[in-house]
Amino acid sequence: MLSYAGKRLAQLIVTMFGVVTLVFFSIRMIPGDAASAMAGENLSGAALEEMRQKLGLDAPLWRQYSDYLLSVVRFDFGHTITTSLPIAELMLKALPLTMMIACMTVLIAVLLAIPLGTLAAFLANKGRKALDNIITWAAMVVDLMPSFWTGLLLMLFLSLNLKLLPASGDISFGEPGFMLQRIALPVLVLAVSQVATLARITRTAVLEVLNEDYIRTARSLGMTEILVVFRHALKNAMLPIITVIGLSFGHLLSGTVIVEFIFSIPGIGTLLVYGINSRDYPLVQNVILFYAFIFVVINFITDMVYKKVDPRVQF
Amino acid sequence: MDIATTAAWKSDKREAVKEPLLQVRDLHTHFFTDSGTVRAVNGVSFNLERGERLAIVGESGSGKSAMAMSLIQLIAYPGKLVSGSVKLDGREMVGMSESELNKLRGGSIGTVFQDPISSLDPVMLIEDQMVKPIRMHLKLGAKEARRHAVNLLERVGIPDAERRISSYPFEMSGGMRQRIMIAMALSCKPKLILADEPTTALDVTIQAQIVELLKNLTETTGSAMMFITHDLGLVARFAQKVAVMYAGKIVEFGTVDEIFDTPSHPYTQSLLMTIPGVSDGQRRRLLQIKGFPPDMKKPVVGCAYKDRCPAASERCRLDPPELAEREGGHLAACWLENGLRSGDGGSIEAMLGEERNEPFASAGSGAANGRDGGREPSAGEAADVVLRITDLRKSFRKASMLPWKKATEIRAVSGISFTLKRGETIGIVGESGCGKSTTARMLLKLEEPTGGRIEMNGNTQIVFQDPYSSFNPKMKIADIIAEPLHVRRIGTREERKERVRELIQKVGLDIAYLDRYPSQLSGGQRQRVGVARALALNPTVVVADEPTSALDVSVRAQIINLLCDLKEELGLSFVFISHDLSTVRHISDTIAVMYLGEIVEYGPAEEIFVHPAHPYTKALIEAVPVPDPKIEAAKKLSLLKGELPSPAHPPSGCAFSSRCPLATPVCTEKKPALQPYLDRREVACHAVS
Repeated sequence: MLSYAGKRLAQLIVTMFGVVTLVFFSIRMIPGDAASAMAGENLSGAALEEMRQKLGLDAPLWRQYSDYLLSVVRFDFGHTITTSLPIAELMLKALPLTMMIACMTVLIAVLLAIPLGTLAAFLANKGRKALDNIITWAAMVVDLMPSFWTGLLLMLFLSLNLKLLPASGDISFGEPGFMLQRIALPVLVLAVSQVATLARITRTAVLEVLNEDYIRTARSLGMTEILVVFRHALKNAMLPIITVIGLSFGHLLSGTVIVEFIFSIPGIGTLLVYGINSRDYPLVQNVILFYAFIFVVINFITDMVYKKVDPRVQF
Repeated sequence: MDIATTAAWKSDKREAVKEPLLQVRDLHTHFFTDSGTVRAVNGVSFNLERGERLAIVGESGSGKSAMAMSLIQLIAYPGKLVSGSVKLDGREMVGMSESELNKLRGGSIGTVFQDPISSLDPVMLIEDQMVKPIRMHLKLGAKEARRHAVNLLERVGIPDAERRISSYPFEMSGGMRQRIMIAMALSCKPKLILADEPTTALDVTIQAQIVELLKNLTETTGSAMMFITHDLGLVARFAQKVAVMYAGKIVEFGTVDEIFDTPSHPYTQSLLMTIPGVSDGQRRRLLQIKGFPPDMKKPVVGCAYKDRCPAASERCRLDPPELAEREGGHLAACWLENGLRSGDGGSIEAMLGEERNEPFASAGSGAANGRDGGREPSAGEAADVVLRITDLRKSFRKASMLPWKKATEIRAVSGISFTLKRGETIGIVGESGCGKSTTARMLLKLEEPTGGRIEMNGNTQIVFQDPYSSFNPKMKIADIIAEPLHVRRIGTREERKERVRELIQKVGLDIAYLDRYPSQLSGGQRQRVGVARALALNPTVVVADEPTSALDVSVRAQIINLLCDLKEELGLSFVFISHDLSTVRHISDTIAVMYLGEIVEYGPAEEIFVHPAHPYTKALIEAVPVPDPKIEAAKKLSLLKGELPSPAHPPSGCAFSSRCPLATPVCTEKKPALQPYLDRREVACHAVS
């Protein structure tokens, strides 16, 4: 296990290096250069040159690259151009909120979707098609609803009509009660689609496992259906489920831009939108780097869980 | 009460005063599929006495497995036990609650399944899979249950059981896993063991070990056993009673001697003639049962076997025969007292004579008829070598990720040589992992040899093992056969079409099949298509990698006959790879026995089979069960111990030394070379040369 983790960790560092390189060069592939793109059209030659100097774009490419690598290693993410605030600080401020929304959403999704999907699979395996069809169809319909639409609908009903949950207002960790109320709606919107996706994946995975020979073996040994499903089927079906959980956790952590925007949550997604709108390219570059980092780390965790669940997984 | 039941009751009185362990009466299990109701089990009745071993024999689709699973009511959706009665120890099981059934499953009834690789939970320790049922059924504490489990594993021959119990199934070989399955089935002292093809997925030598184990266990524990198999040799070795199933019914039931000596049902009589006999020296043409089993979705009018039975009369078409008592007390479901033997001379051959001489294909030339005379290739042909292999080697290197670690080398094939002449067949036999498939892949240039030479006169094509997965399911048969022509850009579209029509007739299929898809064909028909595809490029050598092992016994005979015919008609040479020794013997002129990548014995097939020289060849041949209960009873098995060593760490000296009964210190020091032995033979063994 440890050597496996070590190998995966070594691989992770290589991947991160690749990501940093990719981010660096893809930003430089913007037509013209970042300075002119940021400055817009009405900037004179001298001001543009100044901007280039400020961004370090006047140095040779290899120099820019090595500087960038060094700064990343030192966790020095620089300052935004528009506000001159340290980017690291901005991201650290936005992160906890996004993190909380992501964690709560995944938690709800796991708690609801896995039992629901397992139930549907169990029913299908026993040939009780009706209830299985209801669950599967409901999940599919919900899964296909775009989050901006469900978001607006929920806001309309729960906040405006029923006045159950606030749709706006400043969020601060000083008022945990209000904060929870504020993030309840986005969590709900995100959870609805996560539950639907995950339930469908769970159903497919569990149903497939229920047809396996070792399930028949377990039954032939007098195992009750509950034991068969939870001890054998679910454990074997976990691999695809874990993959999907990992992926959606990554997506949620990168701060589902639309939902954050609708509910005006100052998370990572909002930060990215702000960066793009104000053409603040160091900010955008670092948020993208952060996204990549999140996915790499989550993949690593997923792999570790994989190994834990399925001892056959080899490096 | 119908005749079957009456007859079965009568046999009760004959057999035992005590109540039988298992009484099955008029069992019906149907599968309610979207395209209709499949009557998989269609009125099965029989008794099983305590401690008795009953074999259920039949083709795939005859309802054997569905019947066995119906007994413990584990039929997967959309199957359902519709009616009937199953009594264990006098207790009715049909209609029992699920929790009562769960006490019997794994308790009084243990089950062993076919494929040990897929039948154990891959992500759970052996320990966790074994201990839980033991605790449930025997009401033991965790520690006691574990000790019990370890004892069981020792009893089924798992070395170092205390440690092995805490490992995962994937860390063990197939044979070991099947032992674990058996230990699990035995864990709660069952009165009845159900075994569904328990050894089919295993190598011959391992199969022999497992069969001996099951035999000993049933004898020492007094458990009765019902086992399903399509291997008649295994029946002869292992069973006391036999039930032959056809189209969801038992058509014949009796003791193993009765079934083999005086079979009464035409189906049983024919089935026994479809298998190549290991004892008979001269090669006869195998019997093929014509036609197909009936479609179980349609109700059967009259006898289900009528369309394939040469003795069928008007009565058989209308009135279904029920099991009735025969001379000696065994049961058969046929209107004729002696089945096919009811004809003039009382011989089965007389009745079947017409079919046995029937030439193969519609396009079949007279070659098939004159085969006895044309067996030996003429002198001119004999000199014609089509394939010469010299010191062929293949090793696989597995590099470690860490650069300072040495790469491990696995020698799959280490220096084999043989020659193949036109019209000759060489059979390559050995356990899985001995390098026979790697050799095949090198002959087809799918794998680059790491040493040695392959000299070929012409080209090579292959017939694959599994006719189900070796075709693109979305391609029509015509396109499948034409594909090699297409790839090589041979001929115009019209010419290719013509060639395909010619080919499909050559393998004995109607040209109407050209427009169908693989899924619309039976296994045997598909394998014929596989042969046609291999023939498309006029190969000189055809490599057949286990071409019959995925097929039913009766279909197997068809394919073997087809290959024999083609060999004579087209002068083809075959490299025939199989673990089915009786088939290899039937079809091959020369045999190469492989062990851990080396040929240990080489020579004319018949001589090797009759007088094997190498101890490994001896053990292999002995391990194969012969479809004759008398020979089997007389056999004193000296089983090969252990399993094939890992090719990554072969034993020093002779590779076979770790399992050889004749091994001396010399064998572990010096590797024996392949030496000439007697006439035209070669053996690699210190003890022989």
